[in-house]
Amino acid sequence: MWIIIILIILLISLAAAAFLWLRPATGERAEIWVDGELVRSVDLSKIQEPERFTVETDRGVNVILAEPGRIRVESADCPDKVCVDAGWLSDSAAPIVCLPHRLVIRLSGDASLDTEVG
Amino acid sequence: MGVRRLARDAVLTAVALTVFVVELQIPELVPIPGVKLGLANIVTLVTLFTLGPWDALAVLMARILLGALFAGNVMALLYSLTGGLLAFAVMTLMRKILTNRQIWVASVFAAMAHNVGQIGAAILVAGTPELLVYLPVLLVSGIVTGLFTGLAGQYAAGWLGKNLRKTDGK
Repeated sequence: MWIIIILIILLISLAAAAFLWLRPATGERAEIWVDGELVRSVDLSKIQEPERFTVETDRGVNVILAEPGRIRVESADCPDKVCVDAGWLSDSAAPIVCLPHRLVIRLSGDASLDTEVG
Repeated sequence: MGVRRLARDAVLTAVALTVFVVELQIPELVPIPGVKLGLANIVTLVTLFTLGPWDALAVLMARILLGALFAGNVMALLYSLTGGLLAFAVMTLMRKILTNRQIWVASVFAAMAHNVGQIGAAILVAGTPELLVYLPVLLVSGIVTGLFTGLAGQYAAGWLGKNLRKTDGK
């Protein structure tokens, strides 16, 4: 009986994971959030040259590299480096997360808004 | 707490910490925060199913607190504490309805509870609901790793149970 319950949960999770991760992202605009606040927004479709910038908080530093159509965390001084290992974000609905620094990079819809906050 | 019990739980904590630190040396297989084997949970399982919830809770808390210090990652303490306690609650409740041949079931559900607690804490603390997309992936990994550590814990409990209980002096 337990095996069946566990298998059902496994199948639902697999389906949800496949749906969430394989679903193409809706936009070309990369948003960088720190602590639940939008700190920077880059339109990846308008970038010509690779653009490197630093997001610094009192928790640490993330160096972010934006290229035409894609963005990644190039280096960070967080302990686990999960954000760096995540690699390029180009068309996935799954965001890049640096939990120790509370930083999230995600793709978002409306590409016409090209703002730079902070 | 009697001296026998104190010494026994200290040894179990030492074993759990050793396993925990050894696991830290294994490189991350997938770049998703929260995916790990959780080998130290084997010790929690064995303690819970052979000695009961209070000893298991003591060993678990000592391991989480000292483990965060050893790993030098005190910031992750909140997540592992939330996940660990939720997993412990699930294991303790399930112990009442499971036989000694079903310890692995408790481990699978505990692993899932751990992932839910961990991600819930992360979402609340970091204010990042985006993390929710990781939940299905974490649940899949939790089922797989929970099954593995659960079977390991089940066999370990079978072999160690009698001798561990003897340390109660009864």
